[in-house]
Order: sequence, then C-alpha cells, then structure tokens
Amino acid sequence: MSALSFERLGKSYGDADVVRDISLTIGEGEFVSLLGPSGCGKTTILRMVAGLVEPSRGRILIGADDVTRLPPNKRGLGLVFQSYALFPHLTVYENVAFGLRRRKVSGAELDTRVKEALAMVRLATFGERYPRQLSGGQQQRVAIARALAPHPRVLLFDEPLSNLDAQLRDEMQIELKRLQRGLGVTTLFVTHDQGEALSLSDRVGVMAKGVMQQFATPEEIYHRPATGFVASFIGKPNRLQGTVADRSGGGGSVSLGGGVSLAAASLDQPQGARVNVVIRQEAIRLHRGGADPGALPGTIALRSFSGARVQYVVRLAEGVELVAETSSHGPDAALAVGTPVSLAIDAEAVFAMPADGAGQ
Amino acid sequence: MSADTDGRPGPGVTLTAFAVIVFLQVPVVVVILAAFSTTSYLTIPPQGLTLAWFGKVLSDPAYLSAIRMSLILACGSTVISLVLGVAAAFALFRKAVPGSEAITSFLMAPLVLPAVVIGVALLQYFSLTGLRGGLFGLLMAHVVITVPYIVRSALASLSGLDLAVEEAARVLGASGFAAFRLVTLPLIAPGLVAGALFAFITSLDNVPVTIFLITGSQTTLPVLIFTSVEMGIDPSVAAVSTLLIVATGIVLLLAERRFGFHRFV
Amino acid sequence: MIATRHGLLLIAPLALVLTGFFLVPVLMLLPTSFGETVPGAGLAPGVWTLENYALIITDDYYREVIWRTLGLGFFVTVACLLLGYPLAYLIARGPERWRVPLILLVIFPMMLNLVVRSFGWIALLANRGLVNNLLIELGLIATPLKLMFNLTGLMIGLTHIYLPFMVLMLVAAIRNVPRDVEAAAATLGSSRAHVFAAVTLPLSAPGILAGSILVFVLTISALVTPRMLGGPTYKVMATLIYDEYMQLLDWPRGSALSFALTLMAVGIIWLSSRLTRRWAGMA
Repeated sequence: MSALSFERLGKSYGDADVVRDISLTIGEGEFVSLLGPSGCGKTTILRMVAGLVEPSRGRILIGADDVTRLPPNKRGLGLVFQSYALFPHLTVYENVAFGLRRRKVSGAELDTRVKEALAMVRLATFGERYPRQLSGGQQQRVAIARALAPHPRVLLFDEPLSNLDAQLRDEMQIELKRLQRGLGVTTLFVTHDQGEALSLSDRVGVMAKGVMQQFATPEEIYHRPATGFVASFIGKPNRLQGTVADRSGGGGSVSLGGGVSLAAASLDQPQGARVNVVIRQEAIRLHRGGADPGALPGTIALRSFSGARVQYVVRLAEGVELVAETSSHGPDAALAVGTPVSLAIDAEAVFAMPADGAGQ
Repeated sequence: MSADTDGRPGPGVTLTAFAVIVFLQVPVVVVILAAFSTTSYLTIPPQGLTLAWFGKVLSDPAYLSAIRMSLILACGSTVISLVLGVAAAFALFRKAVPGSEAITSFLMAPLVLPAVVIGVALLQYFSLTGLRGGLFGLLMAHVVITVPYIVRSALASLSGLDLAVEEAARVLGASGFAAFRLVTLPLIAPGLVAGALFAFITSLDNVPVTIFLITGSQTTLPVLIFTSVEMGIDPSVAAVSTLLIVATGIVLLLAERRFGFHRFV
Repeated sequence: MIATRHGLLLIAPLALVLTGFFLVPVLMLLPTSFGETVPGAGLAPGVWTLENYALIITDDYYREVIWRTLGLGFFVTVACLLLGYPLAYLIARGPERWRVPLILLVIFPMMLNLVVRSFGWIALLANRGLVNNLLIELGLIATPLKLMFNLTGLMIGLTHIYLPFMVLMLVAAIRNVPRDVEAAAATLGSSRAHVFAAVTLPLSAPGILAGSILVFVLTISALVTPRMLGGPTYKVMATLIYDEYMQLLDWPRGSALSFALTLMAVGIIWLSSRLTRRWAGMA
C-alpha cells in the first residue's frame, strides 16, 4: 500500500487545464519532488493534496483513505509554505504547539512534543521568541518544526527554500534530507530548482504545462531523459535548429546546417521536418586535435572558467556552435581560442523536438 | 526662491498650518472656559470661575438618563455591528457569494445617504410598524449608521493579512471557524478596535437620525444638548460638553498609546 | 475557500437588518412623496400628485434654500481645501516627530460630539459671544457683528466641522506623491513653487477630488450645525426637511425634499466616480 497516490488527478479553471491526468504512487518514507518551471501545475497538485484546492477530476489517497473530498484540517498532513506563514501573534512555542492543540494534545505530552520538534530543528532555546525576531532561516526551521510536531502522515513542501540566500539554501537542503531520513516521513517537495530536486529526492517528477513528463530516480532523469522537455530542462542544454536528414528504424540523423549532421537514436518526426535539437553540454565529450571517426571537428571560439568545470564554445561550422564542458583538472582544461578539437556525441543524447516549440 | 528643493514645508506653510490647528481647537477651548464661568456669557478673561455647573449637571436626572440612554445605544449598536459586520466582511472579502462588490456597496450605503433622510424614513417606518419609541427600533437605527465603519475597517484589515497564515492553520487541523478565531481575528483586532471606536462615537454623537425617533421622556445626550441650546445657552450645557470633551480626549490618548490609533484614520 | 452557503449565512443577518431598517424605509418614502397632507388629519387617502416635486422647482422659497445649500457646500469645500492643504502638507512632509501629535490634534475635534463643537461656535459667534465681546472690549467695533443666523456663521461653523475630513484625505494623497518625481523635476530646473504647481498638486488631485466630494456631500446633508448656528429661520435643506416633518407635519413635502437632497448627494458622488475613472486612465 502506498503512502500517497493520485489517480487521474486533474484541475481546470474554465477552459484552462492546469493539471492533466496525473497518476502516481509514492511509497512509505519516500522523498518525491515535483520539478518544473512556474505554471507547470506542481504547486496546484500540492495544494490539492493539502485540501486547499478542489480537484476537477480524479482522486487522492493517503494510505488507503480517499481524502479527495475531505477538508484540509481532517487530512493529517504537514505543509511548509514558501513564505513560512508563521503566526505572527504567537510565540515560536505556540506556533509549534498549534497543530498539537488542535488534536487535543495537552499538558506534559504537549510540552514534550513541542520541545522535541524544536530540538530537531536546533531551535530548542527559541521558544519564547516571536517570529518577527527571527531570521529567515530560523523562521523556516520553525515552520518545519510546526509541520512535524503533530506527526503527519505526509509532509508537503511548497518551494520552501526559494526565499533563502544561496549558501543558507545549501545548508538547509542537507538538514532537510537528514531530518527526512531520520524520521522516515513520506515527503512531497515542490521546487523549480533542479539541483535541489536531484540531490534531495528518491524520485523526481518533471512537469510541464500540467503534464507529467517523467517520473523516475534522479539518475534516470539525468542520464536518460524521456522527453525533449526533460532533456532541455535538466542539466545545461544546447539548443539548435535543424532538419531531419534521414530516417532509419526508430532514429536517423539530423542536420544542423553547414554540413554538420548528427546521429539520433530516437526521432518522431519524418524526414525533412524542421526540429529543435537539444544536446546536453555534459553529454558532449571534447578532445583536443584530430577527428576521431564519428566525432565532429571544430575549433574553440570561447573559453569560460567556472571553478570545477571549464566551458568551451566550439564552432563546428558557420553559424553552428555547441557548448561543451570538461573538468578543470583534466588535460583539456586550458585550450586556447582557435585550437582544433573534436566532439563525440552519443546518438542517445541527441533529442529532436518539433520546431513549433511544444514541450517548453 | 531658495534653492532648497527637498519638498520640506517652508515657513509660510508651517505658519498657516499651525494657525489652522489653533482654529480647530478654538471652540473646544471656549466650551471648557464657559463651563467654569460664573456668568452665562463669555468674556476673556472670565469674570469668575466656578464648579457649580458640573454639580448641577451630574445631579440632574434628565442629563443622567440621557447619558445612560446614549451609552446603552452606543455600546449595544457597536457590539451588534461588530458581530454582524465582521462576519459579513469576512465572507465578502473571500468573495464567498456572487456579487460581493455590489453587496459591499449596499452595506456602505448608509454613509452616502444624508443622515436626515435616514431619520425621516425611519420615522415614517417606525410609525407604521409600531416601533416608534421602543429601544429595539432605536438600536437597529444606530446599527444601520454604525455598521459601515465596522465593515470598512474589517475589509481594510483583512486585505493586509497573508492568506497563507490562515491556510497554515487549516492544514494544522483547525476548522474554518477555529482558524478564524485563533488566527485571523487576533491579527485584525487592532483595525477592528479602531473601527469600533469610530462606530461608538458615531452612535454617541448622532442627532440627525435619533432626533426623529425618540419620544416622550427618553432622549440621548446630544439630542438633549441640541434642544437645550435651542432654548437658550446655559453653562450647564457647557459643563456636560466639557465632560464629553475630557472623556473623548482620554479615550483618544488611550487608543493611541495602546495600538497607534492614528494609523487607522 | 468558503462554501457559498456558509458565505450566505455570514452575510444574511446584516443584509436583512439593512434591508429592513434602511432599504425598505427609504423606499417607502417614495409613495409618501407623491401624497398630500390634509391639515390636522394627516395623509389624504388615495391622492397621487407631483405637486411636492414641482414646488421644489417653482417655489421661490424652496429654490432659495436649495441654492443656499449648494452654495454653502461649494464655499465650505473651497475653504476646507485652502485651509486644509497647508496643514496636510505639513503633516505629510514635515518633521517626523510632529506627525503623530499633529494628526491627533486633527482627529481630536473630529471625534468630539458635533453638538458640542457647534455649541462652541455659538459661544464664539453670538452677539454676546466671545468674538464680539473681545472686539468691543478692544474698541475695534461699537456694536456686535452679526456672525450667526447667516451665511457667515454657517460657513465658519461648517468649515470647522469638516476640515479634519479634508485634512486626512489630503494627507493620504500627498503621501502618495512619489518624492523622486519631485526630485527629478527639481534637477531639471524647477523652482520649489514650480515643483509644487507642476508635480505635487496635480499628482495629489485624486485625493483633492475625493476630499472635496466628501466635504461637499457632508455639508449639503448637514442638520445639526446649520440648525444651531442658523437658527430656526435661516434654513438649509436638511433643516427644512426637519421642519416639514416636525413642525409642519407635512410628510409628503418632507419626503419629496428628502429625495431631492438624496439625488443631489448620490448624483455628485456618481459624477465624481466617473471623473476619477477617467483620470485614472490618464494617470
């Protein structure tokens, strides 16, 4: 039995379909992220699970219970908001105690559980302060403690870290993961930050325009994107225009212009169709010098150093350039502009999407 | 002609402004002076000072019953307006029913209509329905003229709230009413108190509606002063007015000290 | 989200009270205004006439009262603007530490009982009032100036009563004028006076309009102050209505006048909201 599942969940506002036919199951203790650009429907799904938005179609089950029609206060969930939404007129202690009091917990048990929750987020001595006296990171942690104290069946996060600065965000990510692992609570996490989703989750659901593009482990999402959208959303994509040069079997080859063509392992479009080609930077292997068979020759046009990696803009032909990256510790870390190089690209890493732009 | 262009008020503006402030306080000062004067007309400096008028007012049964009636009406209508008005404002703010804007305009309409028209309308209505002279009718009339202030301040306060806070309370297990009671209400309380203060004073102050509806021996304080003045100035009018001035001043200072009343005006 | 039926439950009580004690009573004035009074016997049954309304336009006395009321509204509004703007400017742009005390000094008379304030003006403006006594004592005049029971007295009294409303609305309007726009004008060469005339004043215009409408409507609706300072003979529309009902017991006449006054008030407000909508488009 799953901890949380959706059956053909959908939401429409008038003619606009914000969420379309989503079905998935999340196991007990699993950390699942919903990832996608703003407007893709991920927050709507979260709010439907919480009971703040009524689904147009489909069902939501928590454990074996169909909660689709239940009001938010009867679902036994925890929700951490992007704006933290702490009660400004209550102390930190009373904020955390709120959910417990609603469940008629009182006295010594209440006190113990509140202190436990605060200790979990390392704010044990902050009980008597008010939210306005806390920093953003501290408020975030109170919000987490408040959601956890009533021991919810499922924990929901609505882009909780997007208001924090970069360094704090990295620290909080690790803390969140540790917390979740320690408690084993089923978690649904909504974010637009792919790094966050990949590093925190057991599985990731990539969404665009209300449709689930791929629901798989972070490794699969990264190495084996199922759709062109996922390929261009995750990692750092190259986007070029081209035409389908040749079809054979499930794939064929695409021409990028200027005499450059690539083998593609899977193509949906017929020969001659105009396509947008997506190739991840990380999927391109760059070598100095000679043309290996099957590799594309080119020259370095630009070099950019970013710490652990080095990016190169490689010109393959007039108007056809690809960005590739390599380790800044490797042999090809310091190539000068004009150096001849060759790019090797696997056919599986080449994605072609219809040129009218569906998918992004 | 100075090069000073930071927009700060110049001396001309400042002087005019202070003159206006003085102008605003003058009648108040005059009334207080008249309350202590031994003569029934005013001179500066006053010819003599006495507390006799205060004694007369505080022992006069007519004044005392008028004060009692005014307080009953003011407290009663404010409380009723609070309950009815906050409930309605909450539902209207969340657009829970269609036509929320139209309904809101309707609820504010008593502010637009001339008070005297409301007064005569209710006079006719009460006469026809037999409510004339009863406390219930008077109370409802005062609710009509005070509730727009409550609705307006409730709507203003609600619009300053972060909706997520209420949602957080719901997800944590609070029913709709519990979320309102434990979270929304405490957060809009300061604005509501300011609105309640306005409502209270509007009721306490009211003449144009009340004067058409009272009968016989019952009357309110402002109506009593109004009719007394028509009959000739008596420093006891000034004395009771001074009591009102002092009471208002104290309430205003308390309201400012307690929750910064000037923010809500 | 609130379910519609809960919403209805929350709004219904208030809506019912207002319908029963406001809407219906006011609507019921309408048939009365088409009726006729038999002296001493009340409403004549079955009579339906437009005479009450016709008289408003044709009768000299009524016309005089109406013009007086409208004129009063206009003059009081202008006076409140001229007196109120400097004060509002000081509050909005003056030293921080003056702001709260100044606002309190503006609110205080506004919260004071209307009757008390009007009474204060009587004590000041009467023939044996403070102003006259002072002027006579100082030898500036020989006989008392007539400051009551005329337009002068009403103007002074009503300006005083409604000035706080104007000031508060102007303060809000001036605070909304962005200071960097003024600074920009100054750097482009505007003198202080020019910045005010070309930037501050136009940008505070919506507040000026809102305050003016408010004061105008309040002034033409006023009963207490005109009655106390104007006496029983110098009437405005509200006191006229009062007398028709209480002294003359002519309810039909009074209702017709009430509707005329209401139409004026509502008409002005509706006109001004059309104006602000047009201005908002231009701003």
